[in-house]
Amino acid sequence: MSESLFRISPGFEEVMPVEYRELVTNGPCGREVGVSDLGTFKELIEEHPLCAGCNMGLALRLILASLPKPEDTVIVGSTGCSSLAFTQVAVHNIHSLFGNQNAVASGLKRALRLRFPDKVKDVVVIAGDGATVDIGLDMVMQSWFRRERITTIMLDNEVYANTGGQESGMSPQGTVLNMAPLGKRFPKVALPEIAREAGCAYVATISPAQPKRLERMVRRAILTAREVGPTYVQIFCPCPTNFKFRPNEGLQKIKQRQKEGTFQVREYVSPEAQAFLAELEGADHEK
Amino acid sequence: MYVAAKVEVEKCTGCKLCILSCPEPNVLRYLPETKQVAVNQQRCKGCGLCVTVCSKDALTVSSI
Repeated sequence: MSESLFRISPGFEEVMPVEYRELVTNGPCGREVGVSDLGTFKELIEEHPLCAGCNMGLALRLILASLPKPEDTVIVGSTGCSSLAFTQVAVHNIHSLFGNQNAVASGLKRALRLRFPDKVKDVVVIAGDGATVDIGLDMVMQSWFRRERITTIMLDNEVYANTGGQESGMSPQGTVLNMAPLGKRFPKVALPEIAREAGCAYVATISPAQPKRLERMVRRAILTAREVGPTYVQIFCPCPTNFKFRPNEGLQKIKQRQKEGTFQVREYVSPEAQAFLAELEGADHEK
Repeated sequence: MYVAAKVEVEKCTGCKLCILSCPEPNVLRYLPETKQVAVNQQRCKGCGLCVTVCSKDALTVSSI
């Protein structure tokens, strides 16, 4: 779990795929790169099978570019569209049982703290809305109650996208989908508020339409989780395939929802996290 | 893929907005020598998100 693991043993350079060689020579590990440097370094995610115009794909790219220390990060994923992309991600990742991701991440974080007491290892959960709010809500909330120092990132596409379009807890009221022809009968679950009440030190909702802000929020969430307590980031990435809009309209849809007020960019920072971040970001400014 | 984005070199100013809106990794690359963007057409899925964000109309999606 360090940079040296990426390096190729001498003599094997030529047999390794060109993408891997590029990751070693021009990857983000051990360098200070962020979202604004995208396009100039080899990204941690490779050609993925997600649909054309998938906002989740964009969100994943931005999250992976925002990781403060990718070589010391472990990602825990769960079943869903996002899990299709994780096989192409060059960060240690675990695919857990559906909904079990926060329980796995809690154990992993504790084990890593015992195994590497002098190092900082970030455990980041990246799962879809089905795994976080429907099937895994029990495990997600219990991990927050126990104040596990992990970051939970939800990729909120408001639907069970890869099983044909069933309504999820995060679908807005009235949503008509392939497998929900009568429309959803109850409103979207207010998970950011639940997270706040359940003890998260940092809660944010954001979309990939604001990449720099997304980077800042993901970084803040991961850094807060190192020292203060559990953090939660909800990333709104509407699905063009199930919501039947053109692949090129994804970012416009997000902006339209923002105008309607059905999606808001929000940030909650607890007083302890605020003190911690002020100290950290103040030190960065002085450098 | 069957359709892909194309950059018009005369219009591209290298603002990188397209790179920040592309769902595909390593498809749009920034070339520091020319200060412009280049597309890896073999991997582009042709969704057109980059076309909608480009303020200079430097990108188009067409069949390859």
